[in-house]
Amino acid sequence: MNNKIISPLEASSKVKNSIAKRRAKDNRLRLYGRISISLAVCFLLFLFYSIFSKGYSGFFQYYVTLDINFDRERIDPKGDLSENSLFDGDASVIVNESLFSIIQPTGRKEKKQAKKIVSSGKDIRITKMVKNNPSLFGTITKVKFALDDDIDSFLRGYIKRETPESERRISNKVIEYVDKLNEEGRITYEFSDYILSGSASGNPEMAGIKGAFIGSMLTLSVCLLISFPLGIATAVYLEEIAKKNKITEIIEVNINNLAAVPSVVFGIMGLAIFISIFGMPRSIPLVGGMVLALMTLPTIIISSRAAIRAVPPSVRDAAYGIGASKIQVIFHHVIPLAMPGMLTGTIIGMAQALGETAPLLMIGMVAFIVDIPNSIVDPGTVLPVQIFMWADFAERMFVQKTSAAIIVLLVFLISMNAFAVYLRKKLERRW
Amino acid sequence: MFNFYLLAGILLISFIFFFFGYIRARSLVISNQKNLHSLVHYYGIFSLLACLLPTLGVFFILTVGDDFLFAELIKEFIPDHVINSENYNFTIILAQINNSVDGLIFGTPPQWIKNASEIWKSWVHKSQILTVIVCFLTAIISGFLSYKKINREFRSRNAVEKIIISIMALSSVIAILTTIAIIFSVFFEAMRFFALIPFDEFLFGTVWNPQFEGAERAGSGQEGLSQYGAIPLFAGTFLISLIALCVSVPVGLFSAIYLSEYASSKERAFFKPLLEVLAGIPTVVYGFFAALTVAPFLRSSGSIFGLDIASESALAAGFVMGIMIIPFISSLSDDVINAVPQSLRDAGYGLGSTKNETVMKIVLPAALPGVVASVILAVSRAVGETMIVVMAAGLAANLTANPLEAVTTVTSQIVTILVGDQEFESAKTLSAFALALTLIIITLGMNFYALHVVKKYREQYE
Amino acid sequence: MNNNRNDFRSLELTVGDVFSKDARLKARNVNVFYGENKAIDNVTIDIGSKEVISFIGPSGCGKSTFLRCFNRMNDTIDSCLVQGEITIDDENIYNKKIDVVPLRARIGMVFQKPNPFPKSIYDNVAYGPRIHGLSENKEHLDYIVEESLKRAGLWNEVSDRLQSPGTGLSGGQQQRLCIARTIAVSPEVILMDEPCSALDPIATAKIEELIHELGNDYSIVIVTHSMQQAARVSKRTAYFHLGKLIEVGRTKDIFTRPQHNKTEAYISGKIG
Repeated sequence: MNNKIISPLEASSKVKNSIAKRRAKDNRLRLYGRISISLAVCFLLFLFYSIFSKGYSGFFQYYVTLDINFDRERIDPKGDLSENSLFDGDASVIVNESLFSIIQPTGRKEKKQAKKIVSSGKDIRITKMVKNNPSLFGTITKVKFALDDDIDSFLRGYIKRETPESERRISNKVIEYVDKLNEEGRITYEFSDYILSGSASGNPEMAGIKGAFIGSMLTLSVCLLISFPLGIATAVYLEEIAKKNKITEIIEVNINNLAAVPSVVFGIMGLAIFISIFGMPRSIPLVGGMVLALMTLPTIIISSRAAIRAVPPSVRDAAYGIGASKIQVIFHHVIPLAMPGMLTGTIIGMAQALGETAPLLMIGMVAFIVDIPNSIVDPGTVLPVQIFMWADFAERMFVQKTSAAIIVLLVFLISMNAFAVYLRKKLERRW
Repeated sequence: MFNFYLLAGILLISFIFFFFGYIRARSLVISNQKNLHSLVHYYGIFSLLACLLPTLGVFFILTVGDDFLFAELIKEFIPDHVINSENYNFTIILAQINNSVDGLIFGTPPQWIKNASEIWKSWVHKSQILTVIVCFLTAIISGFLSYKKINREFRSRNAVEKIIISIMALSSVIAILTTIAIIFSVFFEAMRFFALIPFDEFLFGTVWNPQFEGAERAGSGQEGLSQYGAIPLFAGTFLISLIALCVSVPVGLFSAIYLSEYASSKERAFFKPLLEVLAGIPTVVYGFFAALTVAPFLRSSGSIFGLDIASESALAAGFVMGIMIIPFISSLSDDVINAVPQSLRDAGYGLGSTKNETVMKIVLPAALPGVVASVILAVSRAVGETMIVVMAAGLAANLTANPLEAVTTVTSQIVTILVGDQEFESAKTLSAFALALTLIIITLGMNFYALHVVKKYREQYE
Repeated sequence: MNNNRNDFRSLELTVGDVFSKDARLKARNVNVFYGENKAIDNVTIDIGSKEVISFIGPSGCGKSTFLRCFNRMNDTIDSCLVQGEITIDDENIYNKKIDVVPLRARIGMVFQKPNPFPKSIYDNVAYGPRIHGLSENKEHLDYIVEESLKRAGLWNEVSDRLQSPGTGLSGGQQQRLCIARTIAVSPEVILMDEPCSALDPIATAKIEELIHELGNDYSIVIVTHSMQQAARVSKRTAYFHLGKLIEVGRTKDIFTRPQHNKTEAYISGKIG
């Protein structure tokens, strides 16, 4: 039975014996910590790398330069540049003629294949050009056209020559034609004029994010206009005016609950109430903004309350002491002092709203919208939903453009968050 | 456009009353020796608000309400043979009439629709005139009444402040209204679902195979082909969340321990925000990453080892979701660990503990409730997550524990069912609401529990 | 080490018996800086074996800072810099090669505010022996816990509820628990930083009695702001003023016939 108290000497030697193992354990824990952080950072970097490497090339695409004969009679038969006239015109035939003069296909089958080389947006390009600049009529001018996405993928090397023809998306003849165009120096790789200024399209080479971007801006504006005043008003009311009773407790619990509800559910609510019951149209930024506003409200309320609480009581006491009323104290003193915190919380809330997809899917901002919305009641989509829709398409070029769209989205998010951090640092007060 | 102009007009009248009130107050000041109770501009504001608010209320009621009224009245103009037909669906008829009113005509609609839309248009016209008159009258009358109130004794600042407080109180109620709206929209539809499919079949059934009623009737298979057993969905959600936790808890927890106990302040200032970035990335980006990078990578590396990993495996979705959740665990745990008082650490070091011993045997056990709460919150987030699973996990309701197979989740099904064509009455559409109800109950339940845990833990230290 | 007074410039200011015959801890020319501020200025003193010595002085004069140098607790504060030598058994504890873990097992510390772990009473006391591997089996550990609690004068009050949480005890009991915890690792020196300042008079009296007893087995250095306490518990007293060691001597002598005029001013209440 070892029931003697250990002498300090004995204790010392026992401790010294135990040190090595304990230090090893300590170092192991430090190592685990370092590994974990490194893993997390690696994931982050890999994610960014993966997106950027795919997306960088999404900002560029291949073009072919052709000499176009701007024959007014064929492009604008009625001569008045009206929509009907241009619609009846033969712009695409002119383009094909120019193309055929270079590659000279023979027979119907070859001509059919050749017609697919230039993007199907060729006639729109011509008609846009003549509308902006009618003096082009009667000239022969060089025009750059986007190449069809299969040709584009081939030029980038994703569709390989070596693959047997039956397994390839483009035929040997088409490759021959492309080679010929390349030899003449007519094919160029340039910054895409579609990705940022075009809108959604089924053809990857013509697809762009302009529509989605404007839709996002409109939706966010609605969200901000609704959630910012409501959020501040609620936060001020709960912090400064309301007495602490059962009702305010219920409201607080409610707000905390709402912050925890998955975003899909907000979409369902929007679908059931705004669309079914109120009968509002689907797919408009107004409804999207309302749903996002309700989602962002808890965030704004909670951060605003924290900002209001941070204002020291001495400021309020001083104002009351001069004889200001409660509302005057709030509006003249508390709110201005709490504004930096409230703004920061709002910007962060808006950044979250910008990236939301699921609730907007629920209210239908997913239809194939080609037109760019002009107002908050025109159908539109938002950037994350656009990304979601494009992600489904198999064409290689869509993968690149989707990644490019993600880059645009991330750039905005990073800017907004950086701005919020900057604002917080700049306007930070040390009481 | 019409509404816009009307609103502009209302605002204009309100501002006119602002001036009336302001001028009257000024005249009172000039004509009397004694000062008024409030500053002069408050009287103007009072007039403005008194005119504007009731008018806005009337405007909204009339503008929103007339659509409901018309929908009821238009029923008179639907021919009997349409009402009695088998496929009668009022919502669709209403939509057709509205399209016709808006000028969107597809093909040649029947004559009665054209008639109905003409009648609707005339009603709209009449209602617009009515709205203008009523709003105008309300504005003038309420403005005038407020104007009469202005005299020497009137405490306009108090009145204005009371109005402002009421507006703020109303906005606070919006939070409650939203909750009610969510409950209302989800609960009632879910109940209609449970009227068709019994509770126990939903909660305990192991086959999930919803079909549209149209498909059933078209004879795509045997009768009663639809099955609504949600167990595979729960299992899928559970499996993916579990994988996510396996990634996020070790990484998040050890990161939090390192950053709060071992890291220098420079390291901490650099790495903590970096981890937060993971939380700021939109989930659609994670979904894209999972579907286009992680899943193919897993599939090809799996084939090297002779494993057949599905292209929409639970592993891919769960792994990426784990990455997304890391900051939830690391941030919250970091806060909790920092909240443990320094005196406990001092006691530990004073006895000769190594840092490892102090952290693992003293600090963590003290912080454990908070850490557990953060894990629960992270799980709740994982369960409610939608985009990653929609894009990277499958749609096949597969009941399995194998992470290499494709599974689907509750949220994924909700999205799939509700996006696209819907028939509001069918069991399939309603099943989405039942799923949403389950989702709400689970996530809210977890959040309540996490808060409860944190509350108990705080009592320990205060 | 040469104990000749004239070799230490620091001793030009200090009066009294700075050195001890049977010194356990020897501090020589110790300076402590918090960033730019000098908190301890050139202090030299011996801590004898099995004695109780008090550090007294007005608040903010650096007593606690100096105390914490002995077990290198100042290491936990980033901005703290310690210069000079503190030796135990002729080994400088500030040598880079020294591991603080065994040092802190030899030199224990009791803090101002009782800080028992949120564990059971048993686990509180058993924590030290467990991590250092001092006990061979469960029975031995039980014995160590019981002995430590007995020596801390707490055994009778808690023997029937060893599994209940340590935080559930009263303030005075908690502090005795902390003392038991420190004793359980068999230290040679126990540092006490104002151990009674957070306690009521009855608990204080109990602890003072305990300290007096413990002085038979351990070297105890106690920082106190109460001169009466110093008079009650310690045989030797050191008076600090603005980071400098002014006078050291037998407690009775310090309080009845102080040699330095600053000491005299403090004990008669003119300063502090």
